[in-house]
Amino acid sequence: MTGDGNGTDLTGAEAKAWLLAFAERVVAGADELTELDRRAGDGDFGWNISSALKRGREGLAGTEGEHPAQVFQTVSDAFLASGGTSGPLFGLWFGRLGAGPSAPWDVPALGAAFGMATGAVRRLGKAEVGHKTMVDAMAPATDALTETTSGTWREAVVDAARAARAGADSTSGMIAHRGRASYLGERAQDVLDPGAVAVAWFFESAEGA
Amino acid sequence: MSRFFMNERETLVEQALEGLVEAHSGLIDVHTDPLFVTRRVPAPGKVALVSGGGSGHEPLHTGFVGQGMLDAAVPGDVFASPTALQVRAAIQAADTGEGTVMVVKNYTGDVLNFSIAAELLSETHRVEQVLVDDDLATQKEDEGGPGRRGTAAVVAVEKICGAAAEAGAPIVEVRELGREVVARSATLGVSFEACTNPMTGRRSFDLDPGQMEFGVGIHGERGIETRPITGAAELVESLVTPLVESVGLKRGDAVLAIVNGLGATHGLELGVAARETRRVLDGLGIGVARSLVGPYVTSLDMKGLSITLTALTDDLVKFWDAPVRTPALVW
Repeated sequence: MTGDGNGTDLTGAEAKAWLLAFAERVVAGADELTELDRRAGDGDFGWNISSALKRGREGLAGTEGEHPAQVFQTVSDAFLASGGTSGPLFGLWFGRLGAGPSAPWDVPALGAAFGMATGAVRRLGKAEVGHKTMVDAMAPATDALTETTSGTWREAVVDAARAARAGADSTSGMIAHRGRASYLGERAQDVLDPGAVAVAWFFESAEGA
Repeated sequence: MSRFFMNERETLVEQALEGLVEAHSGLIDVHTDPLFVTRRVPAPGKVALVSGGGSGHEPLHTGFVGQGMLDAAVPGDVFASPTALQVRAAIQAADTGEGTVMVVKNYTGDVLNFSIAAELLSETHRVEQVLVDDDLATQKEDEGGPGRRGTAAVVAVEKICGAAAEAGAPIVEVRELGREVVARSATLGVSFEACTNPMTGRRSFDLDPGQMEFGVGIHGERGIETRPITGAAELVESLVTPLVESVGLKRGDAVLAIVNGLGATHGLELGVAARETRRVLDGLGIGVARSLVGPYVTSLDMKGLSITLTALTDDLVKFWDAPVRTPALVW
């Protein structure tokens, strides 16, 4: 089935709306992420990710959003220009999504693209589920996308958002093994990982976009 | 007012590169947005060699771009990794179809950003990595830690890989030569005075009179131990002896000795250090077949020095001796 806004496949225009909604959510909630990071890390996460998405928003404004890969690529470049660890890893994630098919994505294509992207973040970030990082939300969301029985991309992403949120919530209570929070160990145990929260926001932003 | 010589902190790295290009306009070009340095005249038909890392270590890496060494260098901010976007752009500019070998010092940020750039180019470019982790002071037994830091052995890696690439060696050979140099190298550093933070103008640590930091890296951090300052002969011996053991050098072996100034150590002092290095090695029956003495991998204006030993083979000597023409290294 070809994507022509029939609701089954993710089109470029829909991907662009999704990313813009995500950017809006992050820019509005940057202080919330910063506060989490301040308690668990060094406090620059909210600023880093919202500046990247502001750049990404400017980039998106200049594109037609021909297909999802092109949209994700544009956002990737904005993240790849940031310092720290989470920014480059988001850049990698979106960059691998940007290597997906140059056409609208049906649900299996969506699952395959996220599978490749999350695999790259796990490999290069050397993070697994339970390490209190963005992977705690990415991995279950990706599993939901690849295992979903939904026929439309929106339903599939709703499943992914639910899984991502549960994954992000599970980071409270975890002791960090990777990233800045690992230096604090048990002292940051009850804090949600801001990277995982941002991933949950990403999947939740598809609804209504 | 900082006593660090610059206009604004934000433009420090880019303006310094403009000056470097001004002084060596026949050799290198600077690209902005994103920032990286390439050879003035690209060398087609050979493996590209790309390196980079935080600034504040000059002449590393930008001073080693040119014939017989790097094709591109990617500078980060002071003591901060370059971004993956910069690294990707530099590889795209340097790679002429024979693939790229990246020389990466072992720091979390550098490794992450270089690896991400390589991963994102994997459909279109063949990219291989040589990880440099020569600093003996950060050797730990635990698995899963960050591992040893990358310090002055990176100069030997860039020189030898650069010569091999220039001679037309295929990508795997260039990579394996680089890894061989790393495996045969170890470095130890010592500091008598910390470096100045360009932002605050403050020293990164304080030492009591008569004390030195033993086992320092190249980012202004403290070493593994504070010790009383000893005479030059004794101090060099305390650096060289663990290196000999770590590299596994035996009587009759030949080494490359890099006696490296960390930024504010005078040439006279480095000359004495080079002499003492040779004396200690002579006493062990180890020959200094080649040496490099000067400030090549600095830590801003840190007063101190590092010694690197690389066990040589005939092949490594050949590539070390091959012609090189860069801002910081010419023969």
